[in-house]
Amino acid sequence: MTRIKHPRLIAPLSTLAVGSSIAVAVGIGYTWTGAIIAEIVVVLESIGYFALTGSKSDVGAIYGQRRDERQGQVLLRASRLAMIVMFAVVFVITLFTLASKGSYWQVDVVGSVGGVSYFIGLLIYGEHDESARGAQRGIMSSEVIAESSDNGVTPPL
Amino acid sequence: MENEVREYRRTRELSQAELADELGVSRQTIIAIESGRYSPSLPLAFRIARFFDVPVEKLFNPSEEVDT
Repeated sequence: MTRIKHPRLIAPLSTLAVGSSIAVAVGIGYTWTGAIIAEIVVVLESIGYFALTGSKSDVGAIYGQRRDERQGQVLLRASRLAMIVMFAVVFVITLFTLASKGSYWQVDVVGSVGGVSYFIGLLIYGEHDESARGAQRGIMSSEVIAESSDNGVTPPL
Repeated sequence: MENEVREYRRTRELSQAELADELGVSRQTIIAIESGRYSPSLPLAFRIARFFDVPVEKLFNPSEEVDT
């Protein structure tokens, strides 16, 4: 696996990139004064993240890309909590939008993409029963049985 | 999961930070393991056992399982 040269910079630079793009969008859609204010907030936030990555806490290790296995679990649990909260919020916003006859395609996209990603994640990270798949294809193989017999092991029924 | 990590660490006169450095984990993880709040993965459990040169079942007692 490739090692990242400056792992502490990932969180602040990502924040800077995402935040700056939002600031530009604010500039184009609204005012450039608003964009400058947004950019200042983003820069301060990035500096804060950089300071955080240096701390010896779990949060510092996670943001600084030097987490161990327990901190990896902390990250997973936090991500799970964030996902649950996000879906609850999407659900509530959908209800309000539908009730007020508003345009709901944005929340529909967020909900649908999130839901599909969840199922893709289950497919990617879940274990799949290869032997059952083989049996379905009719290759509950004589090779396996022959091999088992050779070893003096009774094949499973 | 109850374990003897703290006892073995003290026998070796190591601090939690020193043991963490040896094992390549954070000091918070050593604290969590010693207090039984976190059960390490098999690779880490074996690494700890190898470090103290004892069988893994001598370090960890699965009968006292707690939620991790």
